[in-house]
Amino acid sequence: MSSNVTSGGRRPPRSGRSGTRRSGLGRLGPLPWIGPAVLLIVVVVLWPVYEMVRTSFLKISVSGFVRGWAGLDKYRQLFDEPDLGSVITATVVWTVGVVALTMVLSLGLAQLFNQRFPGRRLTRWALIAPWAASVLMTAIGFKWMLDRTAGVLNTLMTDLGIVDSPEDWLGDPSTAWPWMMFVAVFVSLPFTTYTLLAGLQTVPGEVYEAARVDGAGVWQTYRRITLPLLRPAFLVGVVINLINVFNSFPVIWGMTRGGPDSDTATTTVFMYQLKSSDIGESAAMSVVNFALVVVMVAAFLKVSRWNQEEA
Amino acid sequence: MLVLSAACAAGALVLSACGGGGAGESADGSVTLKLVAADYGDKASNSSTVYWEDVAKRFEAANPDIKVDVQVVNWNDIDAQVKTMIQSGNVPDVLQTGGYADKVADDLLHKAEDVLSPATLDNLVDTFAEAGEVDGVQYGIPFVSSARALFYNKKLLADAGVTEPPKSWADIEAAAEALKKKNPDVVPYALPLGPEEAQGETLIWELGNGGGYTGEDGAYTLDSKANVETFQWLRAHLVEPGLTYSNPAATDRKTAFADFAAGKVGMLNGHPSLIQMSKDGGVDYGVAPIPGKDGALDSTLGVADWVMAFKDSGHQEEIRKFLDFAYSKENTLKFDEMYNLMPVTEDTLQEMTSNGKHKDLEPFFELLPKASFYPLGDTSWDAVSAEIKKSGGTAVGEDPAKVLGDLQKKAEQIAANQ
Repeated sequence: MSSNVTSGGRRPPRSGRSGTRRSGLGRLGPLPWIGPAVLLIVVVVLWPVYEMVRTSFLKISVSGFVRGWAGLDKYRQLFDEPDLGSVITATVVWTVGVVALTMVLSLGLAQLFNQRFPGRRLTRWALIAPWAASVLMTAIGFKWMLDRTAGVLNTLMTDLGIVDSPEDWLGDPSTAWPWMMFVAVFVSLPFTTYTLLAGLQTVPGEVYEAARVDGAGVWQTYRRITLPLLRPAFLVGVVINLINVFNSFPVIWGMTRGGPDSDTATTTVFMYQLKSSDIGESAAMSVVNFALVVVMVAAFLKVSRWNQEEA
Repeated sequence: MLVLSAACAAGALVLSACGGGGAGESADGSVTLKLVAADYGDKASNSSTVYWEDVAKRFEAANPDIKVDVQVVNWNDIDAQVKTMIQSGNVPDVLQTGGYADKVADDLLHKAEDVLSPATLDNLVDTFAEAGEVDGVQYGIPFVSSARALFYNKKLLADAGVTEPPKSWADIEAAAEALKKKNPDVVPYALPLGPEEAQGETLIWELGNGGGYTGEDGAYTLDSKANVETFQWLRAHLVEPGLTYSNPAATDRKTAFADFAAGKVGMLNGHPSLIQMSKDGGVDYGVAPIPGKDGALDSTLGVADWVMAFKDSGHQEEIRKFLDFAYSKENTLKFDEMYNLMPVTEDTLQEMTSNGKHKDLEPFFELLPKASFYPLGDTSWDAVSAEIKKSGGTAVGEDPAKVLGDLQKKAEQIAANQ
């Protein structure tokens, strides 16, 4: 790989590790190529993570002054929050619920879009719409459609006789959660469906032909052939959705701001709510969030034996 | 999100460079004052920039050796921007915004008496001057004010057979029941306890029962017996019978105001900006004193915005000249009339009360000298207020004693950490 940078004329040695003297850039090996990327990672990922962790150990006044070292106080304060337990439970239900629903619906949609039918190109394009629109915009759009007095969905449901009178859907946690999950699934579908669709298109036609010759039924073919061959795409979809949905801030913030109180907050939204009273405690929540996401993804990858695909 | 929050936190950390002194002095010996102010306008033509540029121009003409650099910031961003200015050492000389006490805690501000002439200081309405005090020393200089009163829709109340505006809580309940019976689509009483301004509506009701946020010694009493009773009453007499919004804790003030201006609300507590909104919406409104548990209150919730002077640059003399100029009757009157706000100086109050141009503000003028305030002079108030905004409203839904008790615990914790 280093042969490209060795100075011209002399034939580069076959083995890069033979210890031949190399000039200037060559000695740096791949560094000049990966350098910018590494630098970017250091600046926009590692440094903020460091600052986040550092902030969680600081005492910061409301006007923004650092008043010194807080030790573990902010973490103690965080774990003493009476709302934390219910917020974590809500986060788990939210993440698992939204990802599961998204995956199931996307499997169906991907199968549908993999068929040949007139207008397929158009419908495939249409599926991109929720993805192309900003998530915050979608969330605020739904918020107004559900508005108690002016919401078009409220009017529609009243006119259709689904509800007796316009309801304040987002004001009550028990109805706000299902609606927010609906919106979260809505915005997650396009990406997931396209990932699965790409996966479906890699399945060679001969395999299906062989299955047909062997007399396998439709359901059997799907379960024994499509699903196993779809596994890599499916896993990518699950992992990326897990991270996205767990961190999904705009949907909740745009629709309820986590309120009333923290009754519709996930840990990400809760972190933002804490920011208004205590930046240190908010940073502590961020650190916990970060740890949760790492643990969650690692656990999932282990359970699903991610790496065995290549073995 | 992670990166974003970490970057915000990182921004909050760049603050060791808060030295200063001698900034803003140019070679010819003239001094430039940096003025940062909030924008009360809602479009370019009535932006506060227009007002402040004009004040600065006239001030500079009278004081050739002092320049004023005007920077007007909208309300949504001003707190964050000022924080950044303080952290980066780019401290304004004069700031006009919504609160001041948190800056006193970090010893950033001049005392009011150091930057106002005795005449200007004396001209401030007493209740407001006192609200600008931290531990008996005035730092916050009131700039404009507003007060709350009960607004009611005359037509809706008359249709429901209610002839007099309610005076007591029982009157409110009776009027609300009559309204609901007559017209089920109307929200009889709008109770906005959502995060936008839960701290305001809460205090108005608590005052009605002799409660409030702090006791005589200045310590927080968020879960006092009177306060808990207030929420128990609200819950049993307005929320559960369906005489207000179904989820008060998730309903913001702007929703309530908009609903009132659209004729969909019977009664609510409002401030003078609702006057114009009601007129625009064609609502024939009435204004009455805030009803208390046993009868109408003679006090009300007053809200003020503040001016403060920073010590950082050492331009005390120049700041004094500028503030004396800015607080002349000509200027304050112009500002108050421009935005239909209430004055905080005696001479302007007198002028606006007597010049006959402000009939619709009259009920509020009477209330001003007796207004009650948030514990503005408490350096922990901003953080406590944020907690009340977040969860205070849920006290009408769950167990009031528990919600208020949790809040009190938080407030004590915050106060102890100051």
